[in-house]
Amino acid sequence: MYGWIWRHLPGNTLVRAVISLLLILGIVYLLFTYVFPWAEPLLPFGDVTVDGGDGASAG
Amino acid sequence: MQDDGTARSAEPAEEDFPPPGGAAGKARGGRGRALAALGVFGELLITLGLVLGLFVAYSLWWTNVQADRSAAAASDRLRSSWAAGPTPGPGGSGAAPGPGGAAAVPPPAIGDDVGFLHVPAMGRDYQVLIRMGTSTAVLDEGVAGVYEQPYRAAMPWDRTGNFALAAHRDGHGARFHDLDAVHRGDAIVVETKDEWYVYKVDNTLPETSKYDTGIVAPVPASSGYTAPGRYITLTTCTPVYTSRYRMAVWGSLVRVDAMDARRTPPPELRHS
Repeated sequence: MYGWIWRHLPGNTLVRAVISLLLILGIVYLLFTYVFPWAEPLLPFGDVTVDGGDGASAG
Repeated sequence: MQDDGTARSAEPAEEDFPPPGGAAGKARGGRGRALAALGVFGELLITLGLVLGLFVAYSLWWTNVQADRSAAAASDRLRSSWAAGPTPGPGGSGAAPGPGGAAAVPPPAIGDDVGFLHVPAMGRDYQVLIRMGTSTAVLDEGVAGVYEQPYRAAMPWDRTGNFALAAHRDGHGARFHDLDAVHRGDAIVVETKDEWYVYKVDNTLPETSKYDTGIVAPVPASSGYTAPGRYITLTTCTPVYTSRYRMAVWGSLVRVDAMDARRTPPPELRHS
């Protein structure tokens, strides 16, 4: 998978390395900005309040 | 940034596998394809591991950065609105009818910032913005939220009731990370525009169910209090890094200090 991507990147090794780095940074940015904030409430790590039973709405 | 390093160091490892669809793959037929599929599967697992690692970094570090930033900005806004002058309203602080002046101010709405929480046991200069509401949106901003449900918390200036607060144990500012360091006899001080409300911790509850809503009731269950009074309750989740149980710290009002012009803190907050 990564080998396939690497072979299909244009340019010489240096250019490919720079593009790879930009791709990685872009993916990390998308994860931190969109994916993780969406996933976080679905996971049971941040509920700190007591509530009357519907745990999904806990803050 | 260190995650990039791991990601890149993982790349050489996959080159040990024969390139999918390459000469070797064609020559060996199904076996080469199976190896290629195995290689892709392995890379997906590596990717999954990296993404989970990034999620930990997001939860425990990045959300703190964001919450610190927005809470600091909101704190500055509140303090400068306090400094800007007397209670808002064209009539001035004393114009509206109401005994004691407290009733003259309209009750704060959800999302309003009402003051600051000081708990010396959680660190020198520990100060947390207090905002109405305990929704995820409120608490994620790095504040202590005032319960609106299941029980609507009383405000410190109310004649009786329980000022119940919640905040994150980890991530999003982790304001109550060290709540287990607060013990009986410790001081909790609530700072509003015109008063210092000094509470003393009477009891703590290290662990309870998340359905135990009685701990934030006007007369909190399990707290040892039996009659109505002016109480404060701090709640968060426990043990750290999970949300399995809740913990609580209860205190009762000791005294109310008037705010002077220089906002001199009460002795409980002064460093000797």
